[in-house]
Amino acid sequence: MNLAKLLVLDRKIIFLVMALVIGIPIIVPFGLPITVTERTQKLFDVVDATPPDKAVLISTDYAPQTEPELHPMMFSLLRHCLARKIRVLVVTLYVEAGGLAEQAVETVIKEFNSRATSNADSIIYGRDIVYLGWQPPPIIPILGMGRSITDVYPVDWYKQPVPSMPVMNGINTYDDISIVVAFSGGSSPIWYVQFAQTRYGVKVGGGVTAVSVPDFYPYLESGQLSGLLAGMKGASEYEELVATVTGVPGRRKATEGMSSQSAAHLAIMAFIVFGNIGYFATKRRR
Amino acid sequence: MNISTDPWVWVGVFLTLSIFSFLWKENGFYRFGEHLFVGVSNGWSLAFMWNNVIKPVLIDRVHMTFKTAGSEGLSWKLFDPYQDTNFLLILWGIIGCLYFTRFIPKVSWLVRIPIGIFMGYYTGLSVPAYFQGSILPQMGATVLTRNSFASTGTAAVAVLVLIGVLCTLSYFFFSKEHKGFLKGTSYIGIIFIMVGFGASFGFTVMARMSLAIGRFTFLLRDWLGLVQ
Repeated sequence: MNLAKLLVLDRKIIFLVMALVIGIPIIVPFGLPITVTERTQKLFDVVDATPPDKAVLISTDYAPQTEPELHPMMFSLLRHCLARKIRVLVVTLYVEAGGLAEQAVETVIKEFNSRATSNADSIIYGRDIVYLGWQPPPIIPILGMGRSITDVYPVDWYKQPVPSMPVMNGINTYDDISIVVAFSGGSSPIWYVQFAQTRYGVKVGGGVTAVSVPDFYPYLESGQLSGLLAGMKGASEYEELVATVTGVPGRRKATEGMSSQSAAHLAIMAFIVFGNIGYFATKRRR
Repeated sequence: MNISTDPWVWVGVFLTLSIFSFLWKENGFYRFGEHLFVGVSNGWSLAFMWNNVIKPVLIDRVHMTFKTAGSEGLSWKLFDPYQDTNFLLILWGIIGCLYFTRFIPKVSWLVRIPIGIFMGYYTGLSVPAYFQGSILPQMGATVLTRNSFASTGTAAVAVLVLIGVLCTLSYFFFSKEHKGFLKGTSYIGIIFIMVGFGASFGFTVMARMSLAIGRFTFLLRDWLGLVQ
């Protein structure tokens, strides 16, 4: 066998193989077990321990191109909070994320209300959750919420006055927030650490794309981040926790993709091994 | 198989396949999809900024200021920057508009004014925050304390982190030739850097695959209905 051919393999063959290893497990998943890592469990535990007089602040800071990784995290966290009757405040620091946050909030409210049998177990916008929307520029709202959340967001995404909403009863500053969870395709969890945590002492958690995870590990190790969801794997872990601990049903988009993720990783590893075999074989011949 | 009849799904499919067609070779469909994406993104951002920033924060407030001045007369209150409606907003608006002088060569130097203000403001804001939020806590987390040796596992990790940080820093110490002791530590530093790059590459592969999985799920589930 001519191993040198491995080095000049047509890239279209690689693309075709990748398409098959991603596509086939979506149709026929092989359901590997999902092991929950410590960083995901930590975030879940902090959110779960939110007392009734506090709320969770979710910062939706991602654009459509990172939706497959971050949107499932957002859905899972919303389901978790609403299942536990934890009040939720949603904001966005990115212009592009406005519609995605709105879609997540509306979808999860509908999910809960389709199963509700009474007013008490319904999710009512303005009572249990509010989408505060977007204010420019990113650092200013982060700092401003340390003094007054309603001053920064006097009206919500739908232009309704925020201070009169029941969800805001007793929620004025970061002192009334149990944790800020920032889902980001960029650096927003670090902004919250640098500007909100250092000044106001609020706990910060993150949900980030896999490509940026190494940037956040030092903050997790130092304890500045109270938990971290890493890419699609992190999202699937949170989905698993929400489903098993709270028993809330709902589509688990990240878990659906994990079979393809595992198959694709095996394929990439195989390509790396074959490429190296070809390289060393031809090097020896020379 | 249950193919979608939603026209927006078909638009999404056309654009997804147009972008994927680049994997075969550069072509008109790909360029159409790329240009449409750039155009729509910019158009949406522009409209969003106009409706959520420029109009409510500047135009509406200046309009209200003039109305107040017309009905109640001029007062110092209308020049108070802490008031929502004040004439100073016009000044900030003009400074913002100086960004456009870049397109007029004769007065393009004026662009330095808003850039200077912007940079000065953000540097002042960011430098202390970076020290307080990143550099000092990270240095603190690298220092070995009694708590680091609470168990064998934590002690091993803490020592490994300390060695990794010091050796990696020594690799980037260029004021002395890497000979003798420094050669050894910088070599260990390279090993740590390579491990870091390997981890980053692994995560990058995972991220890219996740994006591809998102598109394939859309094609196979939302469009073709092959997955329930």
